[in-house]
Amino acid sequence: MSLVELHDVVKRFGANTVLDRVSLTVQPGEIIAIIGRSGSGKSTMLRCINGLESIQGGRIVFDGETVNDPATNLRKLRQRVGIVFQSYNLFPHLSVERNITLAPRVVKGIERDAARDLAARALARVGLADKIDAYPDQLSGGQQQRVAIARSLAMQPQLMLFDEITSALDPELTGEVLKVLEQVAKEGMTMMLVTHEIGFARRVATRLIFMHSGRIWEEGLAGDVLAKPRTPELATFLDAVLH
Amino acid sequence: MRYAFNFRDIWAQWPSIAEGIGVTLMLTAVTMVAGLVIGALGAAGRVYGRSWLRTPLAAYVEVVRNTPLLVQLFIIFFGLPSLGVRLDAVAAALIALSVNLGAYTTEIIRAGLEAVPRSQIEAGYSLGLSGTQVFRHVVLVPAIRIVYPALTSQFVLMMLATSIVSQISAPDLFHIASIIQSRTFRDFEIYAVIAMVYLALALILKLLFAATAQIAFARR
Amino acid sequence: MIREFSLVDIYYLLLAARWTLALTGLAFLGGSLVGLLIAVLRVSPVAPLRALGAGYISIVQGIPLLAWLFVLFFGLPILAGVRVSPWIAAMVAFSIYAGAFLGDIWRGCLQAIPRQQWEAGASLGLSFADQLRYIIVPQAVRVAIPPTVGFLVQLIKNTSLAAVIGFVELTREGQLTNSTTYRPFTVYIVVAAIYFALCFPLTQWSRSLERTFRVSR
Repeated sequence: MSLVELHDVVKRFGANTVLDRVSLTVQPGEIIAIIGRSGSGKSTMLRCINGLESIQGGRIVFDGETVNDPATNLRKLRQRVGIVFQSYNLFPHLSVERNITLAPRVVKGIERDAARDLAARALARVGLADKIDAYPDQLSGGQQQRVAIARSLAMQPQLMLFDEITSALDPELTGEVLKVLEQVAKEGMTMMLVTHEIGFARRVATRLIFMHSGRIWEEGLAGDVLAKPRTPELATFLDAVLH
Repeated sequence: MRYAFNFRDIWAQWPSIAEGIGVTLMLTAVTMVAGLVIGALGAAGRVYGRSWLRTPLAAYVEVVRNTPLLVQLFIIFFGLPSLGVRLDAVAAALIALSVNLGAYTTEIIRAGLEAVPRSQIEAGYSLGLSGTQVFRHVVLVPAIRIVYPALTSQFVLMMLATSIVSQISAPDLFHIASIIQSRTFRDFEIYAVIAMVYLALALILKLLFAATAQIAFARR
Repeated sequence: MIREFSLVDIYYLLLAARWTLALTGLAFLGGSLVGLLIAVLRVSPVAPLRALGAGYISIVQGIPLLAWLFVLFFGLPILAGVRVSPWIAAMVAFSIYAGAFLGDIWRGCLQAIPRQQWEAGASLGLSFADQLRYIIVPQAVRVAIPPTVGFLVQLIKNTSLAAVIGFVELTREGQLTNSTTYRPFTVYIVVAAIYFALCFPLTQWSRSLERTFRVSR
């Protein structure tokens, strides 16, 4: 069974149609890279999948549950869908450990010591085991983003959403974050990434989606789509981004 | 006519002054706690509540902040008995002071809540936290940290304002002053001394708040 | 002899509100003079003067207004050698008190003007006094209006304390009315309503001024 299904999803902000009948299916284990210009609807699509944004038309299904159904318990759903944001959004008043253990303790009821172990393991996966007692403002942007990834991973989700997570980073810090993403992908996580890192997408993604004007414009194997753009819009976009 | 300042008679009254200080500090402490609770609830109500909650809260805040504390005190101590509610001076004082402080803390904490970035709240929800959990763990502590200076300033002002309860003969420091005045007839000296005592209390309170900030907001 | 509380009493309360406003006006005048001085002291380049201003604010704000009223009511006669009416005592006390708060507010407004403005004036050869007068104060006045109007509301409420030293303003008139009609709840609710009618419009005005100012910035 597919993990995520979007059926003719429509999303408007006021008079502005941001998602124009988007349909998509994601199988477990897939790595989907989503590229496109700003305003093409990429981030909005991700945010609709975990219910941060509501939709005006169509259906979104996650693991059999309809996300946009008012009866759906979004809290429970969000325990199974992790999301990492462009601006990391770490809680500044909490240490790294407490940032990571907050949800497991408060939502899943995990004991403090067990939660700390969980945090330690999550941090080891992102290469920051020694920072467990640090505070966000003591970390670099790349480190904060890796902690944000660890925080989402600690909830052991079935799906991870990444919303342009390297866009706010200095170039030299991007590499360490992309390495973590590769590692998480290797471990079999289903991932959907909105990204500008075309090289990374080509290397790691199983499928690439190019969005334009709120629609999926091109879709296919990463290597194929990037090497042979079938539409002028994608060609122009790749031209601009790669030069 | 040379006026002979005589402070010795005042020092002799030290035990009474100490009692007055005790009552003033008790009034301050209780009012602060009550004010914090009312403020947190009121602020949450104004920011997250529906209009049936927001409107009465707004009315509460506006009415209390646009009328004098002295008049509020008189309404509670002198006015309520005619409606069948009889209160002693200290109880009336605590209620009036708490209701008054609560209106100010509601506004202060509300500003703090609104200052927490939306993205933090989204991150909290995205981790599966409920609304109450997001409020408690993600929003409240940063909000109070942001408004801590404004909040503690208000507390110091409230401590000084407790002097007003002397007007309903609650046995606070200021009331003790008038008692000592009638005992010693040293009008100027007693009030000058009491003024200095309040100044010292205000200073100590400010230092306590600064120390609390160091401890509470420290890295753990 | 107990009288019934009637429209006549409301009329007298409204008349007494005039004294509340008069006292507020005079206190604001006196407080403004003191406040101006304190604000200038606080931004002066001379450190001891800044400390003087800061000390004044700390001391005045650290003592309850009631205490100031009593200290001056009993202390001024000693200083002046003559009996002092509640008017004078209240005036001086409120001017001292308001001066500290207004001084602090206006100091904040002066400091809100960016350093570069001062530097521009200095580079043109203007003295500290001239910089203040021609460049800084005109800009600071705009910033100062909302919080100053807000403080006026505080002043109006503070004048209720003058009742305690016998000054007949709105609150004292309420006490007197209560002592003849024995209707404390009604009397003080009406008193509160009159204060509200005086203060609330000012509060709203201060908010709209702040919004206008924020928009135009």
